[in-house]
Amino acid sequence: MESVDDLIRKIQPYFSELSVGDLMSSPVVTVREDQRINEAKELLRTRRISGLPVIDDGGRLKGIISIEDIIHALENNMLNSNVSEIMTKNVVCLTKDEKIMDAFKKFEMYGYGRFPVVDENKNVIGIVTKYDLMIALLAKLSVLYVHDARREQFVGVEIYRSIPKNVKIVREEFEFQIDYKDISMAGTGASELKKFLISKNFPPKFVKRVAIATYEAETNVVIHSNSTGRIKAYIEPEFVEVRVNDNGKGIENIDLAMKEGFSTAPDYVREYGFGAGMGLANMKRCADRMVILSSKGNGVFVEMHFWRHEDEN
Amino acid sequence: MKIEELKDLGFEMVSDGDGEIDHGYACDLLSEVMGKAKPDTVWLTVQSHINIIAVAAITGIRAIILCNDHKFDEETIQRAKKEKIALFKTALNTFEACGKIYQKGIR
Repeated sequence: MESVDDLIRKIQPYFSELSVGDLMSSPVVTVREDQRINEAKELLRTRRISGLPVIDDGGRLKGIISIEDIIHALENNMLNSNVSEIMTKNVVCLTKDEKIMDAFKKFEMYGYGRFPVVDENKNVIGIVTKYDLMIALLAKLSVLYVHDARREQFVGVEIYRSIPKNVKIVREEFEFQIDYKDISMAGTGASELKKFLISKNFPPKFVKRVAIATYEAETNVVIHSNSTGRIKAYIEPEFVEVRVNDNGKGIENIDLAMKEGFSTAPDYVREYGFGAGMGLANMKRCADRMVILSSKGNGVFVEMHFWRHEDEN
Repeated sequence: MKIEELKDLGFEMVSDGDGEIDHGYACDLLSEVMGKAKPDTVWLTVQSHINIIAVAAITGIRAIILCNDHKFDEETIQRAKKEKIALFKTALNTFEACGKIYQKGIR
């Protein structure tokens, strides 16, 4: 399983335009430098937070105090001392115009759990924690759906392990533009892909799996996106990757969309036998790994991985 | 079962196709058909529009029987010929048509 950090790093490019000002928590709970450590401790406890920026009378940042500092103070019997005596003074800050990537870099570089956000006068205007980053990413995405059905016995196979992570397969083997509004054309791209894979000597059972999943993704573009789209497939001897994306209205609630039987298809396509609410479920069943990225108004990106199973050869 | 034999059961052949039939499936929801139908299947439905050919081609369906006296669109027939998928029609409803094929041992 990938760690949250890996996942965040992978999806970073989708959010490159987000700035610190968009994702920071504000207003911030702060403590004045002349308050007692005991008061800071109570603030942390009652607000259920793990760190506090320390300010002076004018609201300017003077330091930061964390639970670790409080523990240290407890050990040394310093709870009645001023916050300024134990706070970290050289604080690494963010400004609200810094990009989300800069924030990631600082988290990585310094290993701190939180960064205060200051304006040009060093006034504290917000704070960013890893939690804030996560929430901002999820809000932006609306949802990220990841499904991975690789089987244990298959994961052990050499060919799977030899596929390097995060390395883009440069050679593009198949491309199809979905640029029609006519529902009756749905499935053309999937049919073409099926023929292409058969011509590359992939076994029929495997090809059917790929074709069904691609058909469902293609049909979704035609029925739901109200836009153009594209099917791309990359192949290796034991592996096929299919990407289907569109520029349409996106999926508002992917969890709901994943439910079998749930459909937002209009009546006229239902009369044609579409809109059974089985599309995403079929894709999930066919693909060994599926990632859907979508948010309202930003289209849908579907990536599906198919590995040849032993019983398909 | 040979595709030809469907004629002997009283189904009217609209367009000929390739292959043999080992299984049967009846449903009008395309995703269900794609998810559940086996290869080398005869598919009974009341859907007649061109998209059923894409579904059949992808699923490996060899023949489609259109029930309840529905008519195929002309472009559906043209596409079926191209993909070599046999088309039949019948006045029987889906249940009755299934029964006939079931009796021949198709499952």
